Amino acid sequence: MNRNDSGFGSLPSYAPLAAAYVPMQENAADRYEASEALSRGTLFPGLDLPFMNVVNDTLPATPMTEMMAIDFVADELELYLDTHSDDLEAFAMYQTFLALRQEARERYSRACGPVTQQDMLGAERYTWLGNPWPWEYRTGREA
Amino acid sequence: MFVYEKKLQYPVRIKNPNPALAKFIISQYGGPDGELGASMRYLSQRYAMPYPELKALLTDIGTEELGHLEMVAAVIHQLTRKMSDEEIRKAGFDTYFVDHTAGVYPTAASGFPWTAASMQVKGDVITDLSEDMGAEQKARTTYDNILRLSDDPDVNNVMRYLREREVVHFQRFGEALRLAMEKMDQKNLYAVNPAFDR
Repeated sequence: MNRNDSGFGSLPSYAPLAAAYVPMQENAADRYEASEALSRGTLFPGLDLPFMNVVNDTLPATPMTEMMAIDFVADELELYLDTHSDDLEAFAMYQTFLALRQEARERYSRACGPVTQQDMLGAERYTWLGNPWPWEYRTGREA
Repeated sequence: MFVYEKKLQYPVRIKNPNPALAKFIISQYGGPDGELGASMRYLSQRYAMPYPELKALLTDIGTEELGHLEMVAAVIHQLTRKMSDEEIRKAGFDTYFVDHTAGVYPTAASGFPWTAASMQVKGDVITDLSEDMGAEQKARTTYDNILRLSDDPDVNNVMRYLREREVVHFQRFGEALRLAMEKMDQKNLYAVNPAFDR
């Protein structure tokens, strides 16, 4: 088997009976870039197993979807690192995305309003009440 | 402590209201394999977990499931906006409407309200992680079934996204079970329950 095939992982060669085994995802697996990862619902092509092989189109780029894509990569890496905490290369990528997340959050908040109440630090008035509320139907760039 | 982020994890923009779809998608809000049960299961199971990887993973996936709960609610809310009395009757949404109007209530598609009886917290490492893997598969199948029944592309984008998250979570729970078993007695994994016998 090709070790770089991102759809495969490692199983124990010798292991206790009466137990369930899922292969461990290998370090340095292939990855999508951020906006494709968000559209697909995973950062990892090896875990991308769509029903009837139908996949989502890439989302149109807006300030909101750009922020979502960065947040998504960070969230996905957190789950991966919970079970691969010794993968320093993935941790370095996580560091990069934490920095990108902070920049994206500041950029979005300035243009479209706070995402967390903390984002109102330095604001001139209480802007938490403003639209968009995330569950409402909207089509603007902030939604 | 939880801090609210005023955004969804993935966008929900349903152009065409359609209460007939809301009738069955509501099951992923409050049905037996829905997102409310998922978040309550993982966030409740974590207290018994003896290993840091398991505490972290159940916290992080449980938190993500709360975000998915909000996404499913957004789908229901948008599918049921601006309904006329006639549309409610024609869609068969009348049985939900009479009890909840256009509010979002945690119930199964069958009408059975959300119940903790659809989840378990056994307080045993292998048992709870095995349940979690099963739970991700049940949720994945529910999204498959929704995708079979729905022909709305705006809805299906969201369902495909949420379905794929179930696949990723299954993988992570499987890895967590591997990590846990490696710390246990290799000659007899069932000799003790490390969540209780410390």
